[in-house]
Amino acid sequence: MSRAGTIARRTFLIAAGVVGGGMLVGAGVVATRLHRIDGFRLDAGPGETSFGAWLKLGSDGRVEVAVPHQDMGQGIYALAALLVANELGLSPDRVRPVQAPIHARFANPVMLLDGLPFENEGVLQRAAYWSFEKILRAVGIQATGGSTSTRNIAEPLRAAAAAMRDMLARAAAAHFATTVERLKFVDGAVLAPDGKRATFAELADAAAKLPPRDIALAPLAPDGLIGKGAPRADVAPKARGQAAYAIDVREKGQLYAAILHAPRLGAKLKSARLPGEAPSVRGLVEGADYVAVVAESYAIAAAALDRLQLAWDETNALAVSTKDVFAACRAALDRGADYRKRWVQETKGDVRNAAGAQITAVYSAPFLAHMTMEPINATALVTDIGAKVWAGTQSPQLAQMAAAAAAGVDTAKVEIVTPYLGGGFGRRADVGFVAKAVEIARKFKGVPVQTIWSRAQDMRDDVLRPAALADLSATLDANGLPATLVYRVATPSIVDQFVARVMPRAVGGLMADRTALDGALRSFYGVPNVSLEHFAVDTGVPVGFWRSVGFSLNCFFLESFVDELAAAAKAKPLDYRTRLLAVSDNSRAAKRAWRVLETMARFDVAEPLEAPREGGRVGRGFALTEPFHSFVGMTADVEVTGSDIRVRRVHAVVDCGLAIDPQNVIAQVRGGVNFGLSAALHGRIDFENGAIVQQNFDSYPLVTLADAPRIAVDIVNSGADIGGVGEIGVPAVAPAVANAVFAATGQRLRAMPFQLART
Amino acid sequence: MTVEFNLNGRKVAAVGAPQSPLLWALRDELGMVGVKFGCGAGLCGACTVIVDGAQTRACQTSLADIAGKNIATIEGLSGPVFEAVVAGWTRAQAPQCGYCQPGFVTAATSVIAADQNATPESVLAQLTNICRCGTYDAIRDAVGLALETLRADARKAGGAK
Repeated sequence: MSRAGTIARRTFLIAAGVVGGGMLVGAGVVATRLHRIDGFRLDAGPGETSFGAWLKLGSDGRVEVAVPHQDMGQGIYALAALLVANELGLSPDRVRPVQAPIHARFANPVMLLDGLPFENEGVLQRAAYWSFEKILRAVGIQATGGSTSTRNIAEPLRAAAAAMRDMLARAAAAHFATTVERLKFVDGAVLAPDGKRATFAELADAAAKLPPRDIALAPLAPDGLIGKGAPRADVAPKARGQAAYAIDVREKGQLYAAILHAPRLGAKLKSARLPGEAPSVRGLVEGADYVAVVAESYAIAAAALDRLQLAWDETNALAVSTKDVFAACRAALDRGADYRKRWVQETKGDVRNAAGAQITAVYSAPFLAHMTMEPINATALVTDIGAKVWAGTQSPQLAQMAAAAAAGVDTAKVEIVTPYLGGGFGRRADVGFVAKAVEIARKFKGVPVQTIWSRAQDMRDDVLRPAALADLSATLDANGLPATLVYRVATPSIVDQFVARVMPRAVGGLMADRTALDGALRSFYGVPNVSLEHFAVDTGVPVGFWRSVGFSLNCFFLESFVDELAAAAKAKPLDYRTRLLAVSDNSRAAKRAWRVLETMARFDVAEPLEAPREGGRVGRGFALTEPFHSFVGMTADVEVTGSDIRVRRVHAVVDCGLAIDPQNVIAQVRGGVNFGLSAALHGRIDFENGAIVQQNFDSYPLVTLADAPRIAVDIVNSGADIGGVGEIGVPAVAPAVANAVFAATGQRLRAMPFQLART
Repeated sequence: MTVEFNLNGRKVAAVGAPQSPLLWALRDELGMVGVKFGCGAGLCGACTVIVDGAQTRACQTSLADIAGKNIATIEGLSGPVFEAVVAGWTRAQAPQCGYCQPGFVTAATSVIAADQNATPESVLAQLTNICRCGTYDAIRDAVGLALETLRADARKAGGAK
């Protein structure tokens, strides 16, 4: 096994060990590795000066920052430039973000820590958390996801920039024979008290020779560009069509491949033949469950693909249909405590203390595709000793391992280039597509081959947002507040499948999959007796991460159900939530949620629901969520005409701790709302006899310019630790819209996508 | 077959089957990778180009259809309308992942160039592209800003006369 493969497997085993209580396992190894990691420095090219792991001074006088995260539209490149520029007193356009090399120095422990099935509270949990942080930093995975990019790199980047500033200042002080305190930093130069100046480039050599010092950082707070933001440098090139994506890679002698998978999941390729003449076709590649045509242009490859005579071996093909998936979920829930893969992830009090009126509801949500605008693709150049791969991947390190295995070369000999991602949303966290592109290119050694998935193939080969079925039940006390909440959700475990795909030899199912209950766990509402259970149901349909994934399911289920409880208690939805916060035993969260709710209540008074048009009925609905350590409240105004639901207006209130770049926070939240709305109103992936039904944007419609609501975003930051931003706009919109439809029509929508009975 | 047409003001030739989509000739043969592949079915607009002034989906246009025609791609757009559109897009910070944006900008340029006095609503109604990042509010702002810029320029030009 390759070195990185061993490391990743070790991560898993060590992780399992820690959970089992063996917290000292690998402590010595970890300490040694951390020491080595902390000594990492970027290589300096001709005319460049390295300032450690994160920063370089380029030959053009610009500061170069190594960004370990991929930019898929969340704006992490611009944010990295902003943070560094702010410390160095530069304009952000003087800082150039570049892809960081694949190295343990750039691991993302935050993403994995967020997945731990316990909180960083309590003595034992804190100790485990602390150990995990060290271990995950030592052997962890370099990846982008879970709304963690800024949380992962803000502090190290600020520290690196502060250290570089200190080195430049000391070099300048020596140069001008003065003290550091008397110097000023002005746009790429250091100014002496007498007005003499030295540019960073002039000081670089002397500065880089000085030993770096640890500079005490002030807590992240509004200061300079932080809290104010700056225009993103990638915007103009993207508008002009000059930004390059993986699909735009054009290497000398490049060939193009079109790929086709077995129509049914689990079927294998038996034979493939291209009849007749095809002079520009360079060959067929037969994969386990796919065939690819390689040709001099994609048009030729795709046309030849349509003419192939194919036979599939369907011995092990799945026969699953949508109704079977929900039937399997129903069976698991009905089995109850006897179900083998049942994880009770939170209990509080005793849910058998149920008295008073019982309210139950069944909620569901379908499989969903990602539909990144840039269809899945990758370009690979394989030689006898190594490989170079251009791929829009959120997991460059896993991509490197997958490419190495597919090319039959050492992991260290694989270079992964990640241009801008034309959308990620979790789709590009999975690296199966990289392995296939490399397998195909391996048949054409020394020639770069770009494999493109057609939209239908992109959907067929997707790892879907899991479908889910949930039984919710509560009893209300004399005041109409819930005394008990039993929340049981049946849905596939993403983590089990992901681990199995990445590490086929790892033992799956050792840890609870927190994503299955994200959005329901540790609610800020006060309910004394709670049981939250996940029934892991695997129907063979591949599932994966998806923008806000578990939150997109559970916030819909829970926040709609809270609305049902409010209705049963004959309380107004906002008032009822206020009362639920007042009895919370999680006071820190409840306080933040309260401020969000308060802003929603003020909006409700200041901006009342607009009157309906002729024949329509209007309603306003609310939802309150805590995704990715941020708080989001949402108000949706809908107009229902017949069975048509039109969302006219959305108001979001956001507390993400601190908005480093408020304009981008607003943009991300608005984008998330439209993403969530597409799921609420339209999104569904179905299967018939193991084959996917939907094929393109006509059968999988998305919200468009014509029907996207006006979305206003209020940022009410609490100053808490920074939370996630990229996914937080998604979860609240579905329940807010469902609750608004209830307010308008009295119909309760418990299944996504929403379908209203005509009344 | 070989098809000759004008691409961004230059005479070019593309080779391919008559029914082969213009999109791939532009991307693979002629180097115009600003024209994006999104759906291959005319649904998303990522591949929007301008054919004799009209916004057109390159994935639904065959080589046989474009002989002798004038094709403009994002790479070849210039002039006050295009610059106003790009400036609007930039000021509104519209792109996120950015993949669909050249299609939007091309479509907006074509629609506004046809009628600079159009209202923002009528321009927006003609933009049927899809953005998965959900940048629609920013695109509304961008179109408004572009039209404002063009109107201000027209007033200035009028005042200078």
